[in-house]
Amino acid sequence: MKSVSELTDFYYKNLFPTLEKLESDRKSLRHKIISIAIICTVVFAAVAYKLGNFYEFILFAYIAFGAIIYKFLVHDYTHEFKMGVIKPLVHAIDSSLLYSSATHISEYLFEHSKLFDTPDRMSGNDYVKGQIDGINIQFSDIHAQKKNQNSKGKDSWSTIFQGLFIVADFNKHFMGETVILPDTAQSTFGDIIGHWLQSNNASRDELVKMDDPEFEKEFVVYSTNQIEARYILSHSLMKKLLAFKHKSKHSVYISFIGTHIYMAVSYDKDLFEPAIFHSLLDYKVAMEYIKTLHLAIGVVEELKLNQKLWSKR
Amino acid sequence: MSIPLIILIVLALILVLMYNSLIAKKNQVENIFASVDTVLKKRYDLIPNLVASVSKYMEHEKSLLEEVTKLRAEATKPDISDAHKIALDAKISSALGSIMVAVENYPELKANENVMHLQHTLHEIEEQISAVRRAYNQSVTDYNNAIEMVPTSFMASLMNYRRKQVFEIVENERKNVDVKELFS
Repeated sequence: MKSVSELTDFYYKNLFPTLEKLESDRKSLRHKIISIAIICTVVFAAVAYKLGNFYEFILFAYIAFGAIIYKFLVHDYTHEFKMGVIKPLVHAIDSSLLYSSATHISEYLFEHSKLFDTPDRMSGNDYVKGQIDGINIQFSDIHAQKKNQNSKGKDSWSTIFQGLFIVADFNKHFMGETVILPDTAQSTFGDIIGHWLQSNNASRDELVKMDDPEFEKEFVVYSTNQIEARYILSHSLMKKLLAFKHKSKHSVYISFIGTHIYMAVSYDKDLFEPAIFHSLLDYKVAMEYIKTLHLAIGVVEELKLNQKLWSKR
Repeated sequence: MSIPLIILIVLALILVLMYNSLIAKKNQVENIFASVDTVLKKRYDLIPNLVASVSKYMEHEKSLLEEVTKLRAEATKPDISDAHKIALDAKISSALGSIMVAVENYPELKANENVMHLQHTLHEIEEQISAVRRAYNQSVTDYNNAIEMVPTSFMASLMNYRRKQVFEIVENERKNVDVKELFS
């Protein structure tokens, strides 16, 4: 697989003509957005001044109208960016991968991972699917939300998870369910109380204490089977998962269910979206696209998922 | 209700909880040891097959093969103690390791499909043994902590609970690789 620096070269060399064209599109788009925003603001302000009332309603209409206009304006540019930049980048990593800008990981897989509560609304995009070294892998950007009702009966939406969701074949055969979550209780409440809270988590299976202190500090493991959890989480896999966590620099959720490994990396924002107020040639902007893709597709290599044991041959 | 009665009830409740948690920990250890037994037995079952397939070629390692067979016979005897079983397992692990290293010296063996299959199966079982060993060690540590820490230690000494032994890493696995020895 290509390294991050090779991909950076690809980004600035092979994609340069596309980026240049997109860059001029971006500039005119930015110009358009700013001028339309100013006109809209003036018009709405004038209407508000004239009516002298209904401020709340006008503000609401202003925001809603603004959002719709913005989406409409950005739509073509976004599509061009994804087809012209993200898709070639994915193919540069592995030409056999399929990329779809509009679809996402199925809701079934998301729920099946047992990592999060069942969402009431799920959206996402930038779906990639294919085989790396004979291992099936798929991932996409996911935004899962839950509907909450406050005491007045008003609905509000809260985010369960937003970020990268990866599903891949796992190289060991197992029957139970093992879930690994970021260790929030132990780091907030200290070892003793945190541990007590974790072992009494009613919504999860049995707590599994792992024998790698560093891993245990970052993660908490729940499983239906104490032995199987350790069969899956060998010392070397724990090291690799830790390295993955440090590489991603975000919260990582992992589960082993059925024949799959599920990984969710929480970025709290929509990924692979084109920059509008920054240049696409900006190194930081470029690195974010490249590193995220490299992280997701690199899972197979990083975790050595392609080294199958005898039982799975 | 009088205060002494309340205190008595609370005290009794604490005692019951302590008693139950100790019993739960002891049962967890026994439960996991049963799984240890199962995977160890899986490995014992492989040994005769392995010895039969390699003994034709391995003239120089006859004593090693005999030792493994002897150890297996001892380990499969009924009613040996847990501690003894653990000690035997360590010996078998290191003996099997030496056989696997010796196989590398025989090209005919390395190419033999049966031996290759055995090697992979052994490898898979080693992984399972490692998992079950770690699970067992964790449950024993929990148990040992409970019988040594206040306040459950008082209860444990009344119940006559003793420390249990954990699996130790085989001495060979812990040693650093001596490169000089490898090439001599």
